[in-house]
Amino acid sequence: MSQVSLSREEAIIGKLKARFPEAIEETKIDRARRVTIHFEKDHVQEIAMFMRDELGFDHVKGVAGVDLPTQKKIEVLYFAGSYSNAEVQDFIVILKAQLPRDNPIIASVVSVWESAHFHERETFEMFGVKFEGHPDLRKLLTLDNWEGPPPMLKDIKFPEMGQR
Amino acid sequence: MTTEPPSPGISISKTAEPSTLDVSVGPQHPGSGHCRILIRVDGDYIVSADPDIGYVHRGCEKIAEYRNYVSNIPHLERPNIADAIHLNWGYVLPIEELQGVVVPPRGKYISTIAAEMNRIMSHLYGLAIMQGVFSGHTTIFMWAFGDRDLFIELAEMLTGARLTYSFLVPGGPRRDLPFGFEDRLSRLLDYFEKRLVEYDRIFFSNPSVIARAKGIGVLKREDAKKLGVVGPVLRASGVKYDVRKVEPYGAYADLEFDIPTFEEGDSYSRYLIRFEEMKQSVRIIRQALEKIPKGPIARKAPLVAPEGEATGRVESSRGEITYLVMGDNSDKPSRVKIMNGSFRNLIALPFLVRNVHVADMPIIYGSLDYWPVEADR
Repeated sequence: MSQVSLSREEAIIGKLKARFPEAIEETKIDRARRVTIHFEKDHVQEIAMFMRDELGFDHVKGVAGVDLPTQKKIEVLYFAGSYSNAEVQDFIVILKAQLPRDNPIIASVVSVWESAHFHERETFEMFGVKFEGHPDLRKLLTLDNWEGPPPMLKDIKFPEMGQR
Repeated sequence: MTTEPPSPGISISKTAEPSTLDVSVGPQHPGSGHCRILIRVDGDYIVSADPDIGYVHRGCEKIAEYRNYVSNIPHLERPNIADAIHLNWGYVLPIEELQGVVVPPRGKYISTIAAEMNRIMSHLYGLAIMQGVFSGHTTIFMWAFGDRDLFIELAEMLTGARLTYSFLVPGGPRRDLPFGFEDRLSRLLDYFEKRLVEYDRIFFSNPSVIARAKGIGVLKREDAKKLGVVGPVLRASGVKYDVRKVEPYGAYADLEFDIPTFEEGDSYSRYLIRFEEMKQSVRIIRQALEKIPKGPIARKAPLVAPEGEATGRVESSRGEITYLVMGDNSDKPSRVKIMNGSFRNLIALPFLVRNVHVADMPIIYGSLDYWPVEADR
């Protein structure tokens, strides 16, 4: 891929780095139209606000958790997209924060991106990530009588599904 | 809501406010899967709604971590049997990106034809059940379901299955177009275009449908953007956003088609947008049949994906489906995340059914074309 075709990706990274020199830890251009940003978890709301108001990323496509048992971390991924800003409509910016596995807490971005509401509820339920400030952080998909640990963690196995 | 969760089935419980009652709707099968909506009513008006989903949750993302890449395909497309090709394609795209496999042009055209046929089938299902039956219109239910079956027969001819095709694997589609398929498909499209005119006469221009759906459940453009809704629901609110144009995959970059949008954002425009999309799908299939190149249909893809992560997306019948696939040098993905149209449109339901009549709730629910099984995964 030529340098020219990646300039839009670099522009987004440049703007974020200029505004948050401390909070942005690592950046990566996965390919054209895909950017991954690793950031420090305490700055999630400021970064979300900047993404929405300055860069035009007005919604999240999803919030995902990833369990990393060897590093004792849980990663939270925000897939930000844009409907308003025609220049970056085709982008997915993946914002990543690492949380300690024994106590995963991060501020909720629902006040910034309302579209994250159900996605954060799902990640809370499946990975045990507590989104502080979420208006309605309840279980969503599992049964009411499910009392085990968050089911998507890697050490939870379901032998009846062939998982050993 | 009440402190104690209401028991399953229809139940009514008193609330602190003397004029309101909590009503549990569901979890019966409202036409596309089991889900429950807890509504608080004041007389005939809904004060608030709380969707209680998860009745058909089967842990697709968890199961995917224990199956290899190819054996994941049949179970990852199960969540939406009306739209199986798109769920399949969205999952295959990031794997191909990780492996660096490029599908040959003929394979891309065959996938596109199959996907657009599936879009028509899915919109016909929505028209029959979600829009027809929910508004008490049995004629369109019979007509749309009958015509959907003709497409199903051709899908069976192409893929070998009626609904759950598992047609696309990393590298390309499983089969070439069978003998006589192009001819049968173009004759079916001729017939279907005539039927679309009749659909308009019996359903979309029907005064009783217009009276029932027009102006009901208005989702304004700014709200649609804020809530992050996708697909026909988004485009009916005037936002021109379609993955087929924004980030073309398959053969869409070579084909000419329009993205229909409406400004009103009400239930009626959400009905109409699917009607217009079916016309565009017919146009896409016709062009694809004409332009389809000769050559191989698929490349051999390895069974293992290297370490890394890729995000792929397609425009399904219910909106953008984004898949995150993480590889770790083995034959199994270490994480699959599915972000689909039904789950993203769910947030619009409690937003739209506020301050409407109870009788309008099925209309709004049907216009969202919400598929609980897809949302629950």
